[in-house]
Amino acid sequence: MKLLLISVLLAPLTVLAQTRADMQCKPAGKDLIYDCVIRLARGDQPLEGAQVTVGADMPSMPMAHNVKPVKARPGSGPGEYLARLDLEMPGEWAVKVRISGKVRDQVVLHRHFDERGARPVRRK
Amino acid sequence: MTDFLQNSVDGLAAGASYSLLALGFTLVFGVLRRANLSYGPAIMLGAYAATWASLHFHAGLFVLFPVMLAASVLAGAYVERLAFAPHRAGSAITAMVASFALWMQFEELATLVLPGHLYAFPPLHEGGPLAVGSLTIRVEALVMIGVAVAACGALWGLLYRTRFGAAVRAVIDNPVAAGLSGISVPAISIRIFALASAIGAVAGFLIVAAQEQVTPMLGMWSTLKGLLAMMLGGLGSLPGAVAGGLALGLLEAHSQWYLGPQLRDFLAYFLLFVLLAARAPWMNTRSAS
Amino acid sequence: MDEYAIGVLTNIGLISFLGLSAYVVLICGELSFGQQAFFGVGAYAAGIATAMFAWPLPLAAVLAMAGGALAAALVAWPALRLRGLYFAMATLAAAEMFRIGFELLHWQVELAGEIVGPDGTQGFRGIRWIFERGVEPLGFLVLVWVMLAAAAASIAWMDRSRLGATLRAVGQDPELARSLGVDVERLKLAGVAASGALAALGGALFAHHNTYIEPRNFDLMLGVHSLAYPLIGGLGTVFGPLLGAALDIGVLEGSRFLQGYRMLVFGGLVAVLLIFRPRGLLDENLVHRLKGR
Repeated sequence: MKLLLISVLLAPLTVLAQTRADMQCKPAGKDLIYDCVIRLARGDQPLEGAQVTVGADMPSMPMAHNVKPVKARPGSGPGEYLARLDLEMPGEWAVKVRISGKVRDQVVLHRHFDERGARPVRRK
Repeated sequence: MTDFLQNSVDGLAAGASYSLLALGFTLVFGVLRRANLSYGPAIMLGAYAATWASLHFHAGLFVLFPVMLAASVLAGAYVERLAFAPHRAGSAITAMVASFALWMQFEELATLVLPGHLYAFPPLHEGGPLAVGSLTIRVEALVMIGVAVAACGALWGLLYRTRFGAAVRAVIDNPVAAGLSGISVPAISIRIFALASAIGAVAGFLIVAAQEQVTPMLGMWSTLKGLLAMMLGGLGSLPGAVAGGLALGLLEAHSQWYLGPQLRDFLAYFLLFVLLAARAPWMNTRSAS
Repeated sequence: MDEYAIGVLTNIGLISFLGLSAYVVLICGELSFGQQAFFGVGAYAAGIATAMFAWPLPLAAVLAMAGGALAAALVAWPALRLRGLYFAMATLAAAEMFRIGFELLHWQVELAGEIVGPDGTQGFRGIRWIFERGVEPLGFLVLVWVMLAAAAASIAWMDRSRLGATLRAVGQDPELARSLGVDVERLKLAGVAASGALAALGGALFAHHNTYIEPRNFDLMLGVHSLAYPLIGGLGTVFGPLLGAALDIGVLEGSRFLQGYRMLVFGGLVAVLLIFRPRGLLDENLVHRLKGR
């Protein structure tokens, strides 16, 4: 048992394809609530049928300042998922897209949220 | 050569406000032997109150300044009551952590007043720079230096011409002797916090008006710059605070020009680390504080 | 357990490593504003090892701990003769140098068509070992808490041993300890290096939990939080910093209904708590009384 555990932990890694994610958000009318469409793909195939939860962290103190993760529901297009985010303040958030089911992965997206919606963050 | 002179003027202007930040820090540290982490956040809260007034009433700088001063002083007094007065006989670390807890409150209060990430602040000066020979000098820099000199003068008058000032200096120089001659720290403590916040508010006002913007980062930034300038000049010395602030301003202006902003900050911390490790003689590092 | 509860408990465990490391420095009688840097060193070292060189996580964690201990020793060694706020400021200056160093670190490689590695202020993405290995959130939670328990147990064991008594003596009165023939500087150096290794282990786990790290994660805010945990939870026992971290994250999570006012309430609570219990909830007196029973 121990040997098995060690061999699993120490075996060299085969690098698997990463999940790619893209996200568009628009304000849901109420303050700091956003409706977001997330598109997921692996390789060049859209990722279908995954369980997706979406949370958000503040860039400073990500362990303490975060938003309770919500489950995303499947959207209309291929690889599309819909989630409603309730943020505590405008500004920059690291949106954490956690994928489980057949595929397990996590993608972190940086967006700047304001009254118009969310824009990608590019820093100097 | 022109670059060097110009950078020096900019450095002195920034340094003048750092000196004020360091003076406020030094007053509290000198009298209480405790570091107040909420010093910068109290200034930030004042800046937010002023920005709020500017957005709602389109008030000019001459109205915004007293608003910022009053809010910062109030915040400073609150910190003294809740984080320092109860721990006078206790440990310095406890007081520091309590002041940190209040910092969290100030940050949230600021975002409740104004939830945005960045707000515009009315400029210190509108219009172009002055041309002096081959130099172009920013008017903001001159205003910053002028106001800082005036504030230092006022502080000097307060410390050297009043009974309160004499008591403060006595405690800073030698707390034991001051206590023996009947000066009580509790009696002057809250006034010291108010005074420190007021000086910090002057510095913060110059900074946000020169930068023409306010962000929540101003809190941590002011605490860090004040600490850095105070330590560079020698902990607990008023002239040292002024010298440390000016030195930091000049160092930053020149290193930013030649090395860029990241190395500028790196260099300032590196200098502090090396001076501390080498136990620079003016820093009194031998005293266990 | 639902995923949310697992996430909260994992966060408490991760940040507790920092609380423990600050506690170790406090036992040695010093105050550090710099533990966040060693947490960052661990996060970057382990992330680079697994994501760029396909090392297994356990090995990467060992590397991270060595890196954290080395970084802490490098900071503490020149600063050993400093005390109080001077030592604290030296650690703060060093920690900021590390943070700026992370901002300047650009080192990326191409692996299977993806570009991975630290990219300065853009951060370091794709530290996906636990996802590629298929480690479930619950499994990772157990891993974090087992490592934390091991760390806490070794500190508790040390605290009871002769070494711990000597360390506390050094912390309380270094001159007296010196006159009794204790090599104060060497002991302090060892204590700070151990605290660096501890923080780095937490950082290594944090990087893999988050899959993404950036220099801003490791700023002064994190350092002061970690210093606050032992003081809130209590300086009397190794459980103090854990309680402090649990209270911080727990109260923050539990008070979501106060949305927008959480820090206002929490900050006030901590300030008031420290008035009544200046050495934390589990202070030396309470621990002594509990042990006496």
